[in-house]
Amino acid sequence: MRRRLIAFLLILTLVLGCASMTGCGKEGADSSDVVVLRISNWEEYIDLGEWDEEEDLIDLEDGTEILGVNAMYEDFEEWYYDTYGIEVRIEYSTFGTNEELYNQMTIGDVYDLACPSEYMIMKMMREDMLVPYSENFRDVEDENNYYERGLSPYIRSVYDTLNIDGQTLSEYASGYMWGTYGIVYNPELVDEEDASSWNILLSDKYNKQITIKDSVRECLFSALAMVYYDDITDEEFVSSDDYQERLSDYLNRTDKESVDAVEEMLSRVKDNVYSFETDAGKADMVTGKVLANAQWSGDAVYTMDQADEDGIELCYAAPDEGTNLWFDGWVMLKKGISQDLRKQHAAEAFVNYVSMPENAIRNMYYIGYTSVISGGDSNLIFQYIDWCYGAEEEDEEEAEESEEDTEDVADDAEDAAEASDDAADSDVDDSDSVDAEDAGDAGDDADSVDAEEAEDEEEELVEYKIGYFFDMDDPDADDEYCIITTIDQTKRQLYAQYPPKAVVDRSVVMRCFDNEGNDRVNRMWTNVRCFDLMSLFR
Amino acid sequence: MNKFHFDRKHLTIPYLLYLAVFVVVPLLVVIYYGFTDSEGHISFTNFVAFFCNTKTMGTLLYSLVLAIIVTIICLLLAYPVAYILAKGEYSRKHSFLMVFVLPMWINFTLRVTALKEILTLLEGNLAFHPFLNTVIGMVYDFLPFMIMPLYNALTKLDNSMIEASRDLGANGRQTFLKVILPLSVPGIISGITMVFLPAMTNYVVLDMVYNSTYIMGSLIGSYFSSYDWNNGSLISAVLLILIGLFTILTNRMAGDKDSRERGRV
Repeated sequence: MRRRLIAFLLILTLVLGCASMTGCGKEGADSSDVVVLRISNWEEYIDLGEWDEEEDLIDLEDGTEILGVNAMYEDFEEWYYDTYGIEVRIEYSTFGTNEELYNQMTIGDVYDLACPSEYMIMKMMREDMLVPYSENFRDVEDENNYYERGLSPYIRSVYDTLNIDGQTLSEYASGYMWGTYGIVYNPELVDEEDASSWNILLSDKYNKQITIKDSVRECLFSALAMVYYDDITDEEFVSSDDYQERLSDYLNRTDKESVDAVEEMLSRVKDNVYSFETDAGKADMVTGKVLANAQWSGDAVYTMDQADEDGIELCYAAPDEGTNLWFDGWVMLKKGISQDLRKQHAAEAFVNYVSMPENAIRNMYYIGYTSVISGGDSNLIFQYIDWCYGAEEEDEEEAEESEEDTEDVADDAEDAAEASDDAADSDVDDSDSVDAEDAGDAGDDADSVDAEEAEDEEEELVEYKIGYFFDMDDPDADDEYCIITTIDQTKRQLYAQYPPKAVVDRSVVMRCFDNEGNDRVNRMWTNVRCFDLMSLFR
Repeated sequence: MNKFHFDRKHLTIPYLLYLAVFVVVPLLVVIYYGFTDSEGHISFTNFVAFFCNTKTMGTLLYSLVLAIIVTIICLLLAYPVAYILAKGEYSRKHSFLMVFVLPMWINFTLRVTALKEILTLLEGNLAFHPFLNTVIGMVYDFLPFMIMPLYNALTKLDNSMIEASRDLGANGRQTFLKVILPLSVPGIISGITMVFLPAMTNYVVLDMVYNSTYIMGSLIGSYFSSYDWNNGSLISAVLLILIGLFTILTNRMAGDKDSRERGRV
């Protein structure tokens, strides 16, 4: 019996050993002819495909149709082989926070390409963890260099001005997504004016009705804006030539005096808000548990989309004092690439692939954030924005929807009376108003749209100019890149995804603090969040 | 040549290996980090930073109070239930036990989310009673962990003991206090240890019921996410020692009581 057991154990070890050895052998053979690229990205931060052809198909004005079928990194493998004749295999993994990514790497996980936020990129640059992008990557002549050819000039200017120890961010990072940090609010219950200031976090009116992000940096930023409110909203200050630099200086302070003031401010904020939240904010806005929620612009878009589905209208505001401009970018890691030129080439090609206008659109549609790509020669991106938010398009959609509605009603007897009344009304009103008033404009789209609504919308249509994003030098860019949209959209998704120039002018990148500042800020944060013994004696 | 003799005690080797790799080594790492500074020199700065800061001490106190309240409520709620389940006249008591343990089969974040909605219905705005909500959330979450060990201890209790105490003239109250309670002490202790530590550290429940005040678990987490492994480790070590002391204390108390009671009987 005993002998049999030993034999069994021996066989088991043998089998396991063989299995692991053959496993290793296989990998060894693989790596010689296939380039393996290890990518680490945020969760839910790339198009994973499987779109519904009927619902999700993006058909742009010039006839381009975009549909995500496979995950984008799978498409990349194919594209890379077709373009360069080299097989590449992507090992794709995700992380939840910048700190998690950094901790993973300190523990020993190795990646070739990762997508951290701006301050983490700066930290990695400072710690000499990154490989700079190659000359070839910068070559505008090469038509496969979609990133260099398509990068928004505005984002490029930001990247060029940010530097660590004399090296600019552009050398080590390529942009992916960007946005602002602001406040999502329910316009029926919160005044737009209130939501346009960080002071809303302390307002009695919304006591215990607002959630903010459980994030040191974002809280520090808002609190600094509140502490220095008088200084940074001073008219002279705002109109000064170096306004942006000075604003950036104010909102990046980590000296003792400022951090102490922030600590005091945040303790009051903590008592006034509903709570700090890590992930619940989006859902709580939709269910109406809270009235406002400080949020990153991409998540704000997602929240507004979700609420739209439930028939609740939410808006987004980037506060007047100043807002946090953030962006996530691709960086190549020294430990992973380790002078393997084939690997570096594949990594750079991946960045180019996701920067292809079609792919940038796929990602934007899938995740709701804003790509740093403006498209260069191709105007697909602008067409996409127009497709999403342009007013005409929306009318058509609405028309379709109401047509569907009437059909549904015909089938469904319950609501028939009410809705058919509506339909009849609208038809009558329509023909009247169209004939009487602006026949030319309304005639195209007013077939089944409620006449009153159409009229309202016409009054509300506004021009929304985002020329700065596409072309900074051309003074006429604003006319070229101008979207006719409803006044609603200028406070909602469009505003969140492509903020107007005024918002961008008062937005500031939060830098990577020095060690001393970092320690001070972390200590401040712990103090704010810990239970205050003194409160027992007050 | 020594021949290898397979012995039953060799079966413990896998577990000992597991213990060494996943328990002892990490513990040593925690202690190493706890008593060194960021450059790797041995120092007590983390120690001083923790104990000389009113804010971190506040958090320690807050978590202790929270954990004690949660444990006491769990015990008070669980004991009668476990007793009825173990000694009651229910013919199908196993299915009843199931009803109480069933929540353990559902993912706990899901459970707390459901609870959150119920509390919102009752209170309206959860932000006004964060401490109360946390207590409710934790009790809800940890109750099965208290019921199970109590139930096990009480089923093992010999019914003839109870009958004997009745025969000798003890009334219901005396029987409970002098016989049942002392004999179920091991169950109480394992129940307490299973609830007390999670209640001090499980900050997911706190987050989910919108309590923005840190407890020990969140404090440790916040240090680790700001790459401050030294302070984080020190607090983990402090917590470990606290729990260790707590367990020794309860065991000793139970031991004393046990022998005293036995002597008297």
